[in-house]
Amino acid sequence: MSFIELKKVCKQYPGTDKKAVTDFDLEINEKEFIAFVGPSGCGKSTTLRMIAGFEEITSGDLYIDGKRMNEVAPRDRGISMVFQNYALYPHMTVEKNIGYGLKNMKVPADEIKKKVDWAIDILGLEEYRNRKPKNLSGGQRQRVALGRAIVKDQKVFLMDEPLSNLDAKLRVSMRNEISKLHRSLGSTTIYVTHDQVEAMTMADRIVIMKAGVVQQVGKPMELYEKPVNKFVAGFIGSPQMNFYDVSIEDGQIVFSDGNRLTMKPEITEKLKKHGKRMTLGIRGEDIKFDPQNLDIYKENKMQAVVDNTEIMGNENNLYFEFGGAVSIARVSKYELCKVGDKMEFVFVPHRMHFFDIDTEEAIEL
Amino acid sequence: MLTKKQKRINIILVIIMIVMSLFFLFPVIWMLANSFKTDAAITRDMNSLAAFIPPALNGSFFDNYITILTNTSFLRYMANTLLYAAVLIVLGIIVNGLAGYALAKINFPFKERWLLIIMLLMIVPMETIITIHFLFIAKLGLLNNIIGYVLPMIVNPFNIFLFRQVFVSLPDDVYEAAQLDFCSPVKYFFTMVLPMSKSVVATVSVFTFLNVWNDYLWPSLVFTSSDLLTAQIGLNAITSNDNTTMGQTLAVITLVTIPVIIIYALFSKQIVEGVVSTGSKEG
Repeated sequence: MSFIELKKVCKQYPGTDKKAVTDFDLEINEKEFIAFVGPSGCGKSTTLRMIAGFEEITSGDLYIDGKRMNEVAPRDRGISMVFQNYALYPHMTVEKNIGYGLKNMKVPADEIKKKVDWAIDILGLEEYRNRKPKNLSGGQRQRVALGRAIVKDQKVFLMDEPLSNLDAKLRVSMRNEISKLHRSLGSTTIYVTHDQVEAMTMADRIVIMKAGVVQQVGKPMELYEKPVNKFVAGFIGSPQMNFYDVSIEDGQIVFSDGNRLTMKPEITEKLKKHGKRMTLGIRGEDIKFDPQNLDIYKENKMQAVVDNTEIMGNENNLYFEFGGAVSIARVSKYELCKVGDKMEFVFVPHRMHFFDIDTEEAIEL
Repeated sequence: MLTKKQKRINIILVIIMIVMSLFFLFPVIWMLANSFKTDAAITRDMNSLAAFIPPALNGSFFDNYITILTNTSFLRYMANTLLYAAVLIVLGIIVNGLAGYALAKINFPFKERWLLIIMLLMIVPMETIITIHFLFIAKLGLLNNIIGYVLPMIVNPFNIFLFRQVFVSLPDDVYEAAQLDFCSPVKYFFTMVLPMSKSVVATVSVFTFLNVWNDYLWPSLVFTSSDLLTAQIGLNAITSNDNTTMGQTLAVITLVTIPVIIIYALFSKQIVEGVVSTGSKEG
């Protein structure tokens, strides 16, 4: 049985016509790490706040551990939360911030001390225990916020973009710390982020949202490999998937700039069923420039002039105009080329995705 | 790095400010210097610079002060005023603070209208409603009673507005975090909101103290018993007594002035912040 269950949960703010969250259905298992991801304003934080009890649920049901929670006060839902802006108590020391909840729960003083010491120890805050939040760095503040959440032994952790205020390097290390903490505590975690890398690297399952509607729920690689629509395909993965408007003519895929790809007849037949025009999507790493792939797929060799290069160290991104769109290819660090070079490349046929031009739904091949 | 011209301008500005300060301070210096003198000495020094110089330190140096503090009840009046101020500071922070918090953070019908009404009340002078207050307190039988004095003075629209302006900028997520930490709304107000808003609490305390300390009209209506009088009424009673010398009058005025000067010296930052209050967030 699922530990947290959302059934047709909706949120509509008074005085607005549009729902901020529409028919949100999700079952979360115990000890699972779930990430809500999507662009700003997609309703992910609103959903999290409805689970926390800070936003009223307009319609639908929320169950935690089998109990309906719609009308239960936040403090009685058995949750801990880490906020985007840390929400530390500015006039209290690190130690008092972490132990404040336990004190209010009337936990005996010696037990509070033991738990606070434990949290301070595992979060590496020993030398800051008597400092106030204003004397801590962003990363240290975030750790205090985590400490405050973990000492209360709650079964559910909610995290609302907890790393968004940290610099890139610190984000990576905190990502790792949160993952380790989740594994060691075994709590059910719901993590809201707009950063798909965070979601991909940390979550057991990801919920992708757009305009208040769940687009797809699945394991990270499932979303990456089998996106159900163009939005998910474009949102997951960096650099973004390349999209081209194409049509099917004479058993070939024709790009808007006249380039053509020959496909197996059974594939073009299937594609034709969805209309003459569609969107083709291909990830940057599936555009190949190396001689081996050029040889394997030689019947579909294409050419483009490199507009720009991004040297990432471990790999390179090549930008070029193709098929009426700016395309990005991810190539190995050994495949160096200059701006202005005329390059030959191929699309790996079985790595191509097709989307209905109108509904933007993925076309099953 | 300052240029020579800027340095010269700065020196001139400092000189002008010193002269201006002396101009404003000279009555205070005169009062202080003469509060230690006999009436004869005051009259003798009146037309010379000696009027600004205290007498030589000798056995009778503090005579005026000793007479005031031993022969009159002025010490008691000062103690009364301090007590009233303390009570009003505590009650004022609780009542006005809670009202300010409600206006800042709680959604209720016609909230903006309420705020507007409170802001309009700020421009109503106390003197125009004091008769109503008096009749009300008299009907309740609370004349000559500390409760009767304190009750109409607790609610202060200006203080409500000050609190509201500061509380409105407090982050909501701290309240949400406190909720998850099992903190009740009342506890949150006293253990989180007030400590996070120390600056406005200090400002309101200073303003309340100065209001009570300088108030003459309301205590003179409520109190007739000499045991309950405040410093300002005591000052008036003592100075209008024919037996009080000029030196003693100046001594009692000095005594009344000292707490105000101390408060201004200690809390000038808060007073300025209060006056220009914008509701800026505590760091």
